[in-house]
Amino acid sequence: MPGTVREQVASPLDTASDQMLADRAADGDLRAFAVLVRRYGPLMRVYATRVLGSNDETDDVVQESFITAWLQLGTLDDGSAVKSWLMRIVSRKSIDRLRARRPHVNIDDTDAPAPDSHAPHALAEAESQTEALARVLAALPEDQRRCWTLRELAEYSYGDIAAELNLPVSTVRGLLARARKTLLREMEEWR
Amino acid sequence: MTELTPADRRFVEFDVDDTDREQAGLNGHTIEQLSDYLDRGRVPADPSIDDSPDCEIALRGLERLRRVQLSLLDRDLKRESLRDDNWVASILDNITLEAHAGRDIPLIHPSPTARLVVTEGAVRGILRETGDKLQNVLVGRCALFGDVGVPGVPITISVDVTVFPEENIPLVADRLRQAMYAVVAQHTNLVVTAIDITVTDLSIAPQASAQGQEHT
Repeated sequence: MPGTVREQVASPLDTASDQMLADRAADGDLRAFAVLVRRYGPLMRVYATRVLGSNDETDDVVQESFITAWLQLGTLDDGSAVKSWLMRIVSRKSIDRLRARRPHVNIDDTDAPAPDSHAPHALAEAESQTEALARVLAALPEDQRRCWTLRELAEYSYGDIAAELNLPVSTVRGLLARARKTLLREMEEWR
Repeated sequence: MTELTPADRRFVEFDVDDTDREQAGLNGHTIEQLSDYLDRGRVPADPSIDDSPDCEIALRGLERLRRVQLSLLDRDLKRESLRDDNWVASILDNITLEAHAGRDIPLIHPSPTARLVVTEGAVRGILRETGDKLQNVLVGRCALFGDVGVPGVPITISVDVTVFPEENIPLVADRLRQAMYAVVAQHTNLVVTAIDITVTDLSIAPQASAQGQEHT
């Protein structure tokens, strides 16, 4: 899965392994940490935006995630796992945001209403497949989108998703299956 | 299998809510099972899937979904990485270096009233910097073992390094060790009895550093 972005100024650190960067950052090396921020920040931003359904809070969530990461780097045993560790932190921060956003609603039961623009037939010709997928994803019920994003972007196992969202594994399976089927069905309309 | 199934045939007849209908349309399977099958690289081969035209169509749809998914991620990542660097700066601005300062290491000073310390984090920083000044080596984790808080107590230092290919590892390690002894003696009063260097990884020499060498 692509997770890296263009390199910045030429320095041996820019191409150093995740392990090396995580170890140095855990020792207090800000330059190494900056390389990690550039390497995985964009993926974390894409991910947070997808989970939150908009990019209003993306800056805050990603910033909080990196500050937490910096403080807790010493607890990361295996530096080569820093990517999934960062994804886990940004997942948790994003989910916390969702919970805080609507304190009176049980987010596990919430289905976002499909937006009015949800009309694949009419739009199919005008947009590319990637744009269409972005739109259909955005229109998925929130709980389905969250599971799908954890699975496909953060590469969580079913069990990890269940633990993270505090849901039974069977429910997670069901939500993912529905999300996948909806995406498949919508996709048939695009070609 | 693909040849047997017209490319333009669609499968849309499954029901999002009804598993029985879904299975009826997919030779007894579900989309979830087919998706898992794809994740496993379609091994071990399952004839009840491979020989079913309906499953073949569904698998093709799943593969297409995956491709579009990747290109969407690619597009989003490109957009995010084209942003200016301010967001990186603002993250780094909000970080406190004290978090990794570690223990205080006293420095001997002629005045009895002066209490000078250097932090463990600062010493690790000096060690890293020493390594970074050498070519073809990157210093990873540095650890100080022993009671650094009591002047005169012997301690050891342990360092993980990455050495680029085609370097003579014992030679590089020796050079690094001597440089580290010198720099620790220069900046601290620590009594270092050993510097253990572990080569953890033989890195592929990055393009960036290769270019750098040509100019030096």
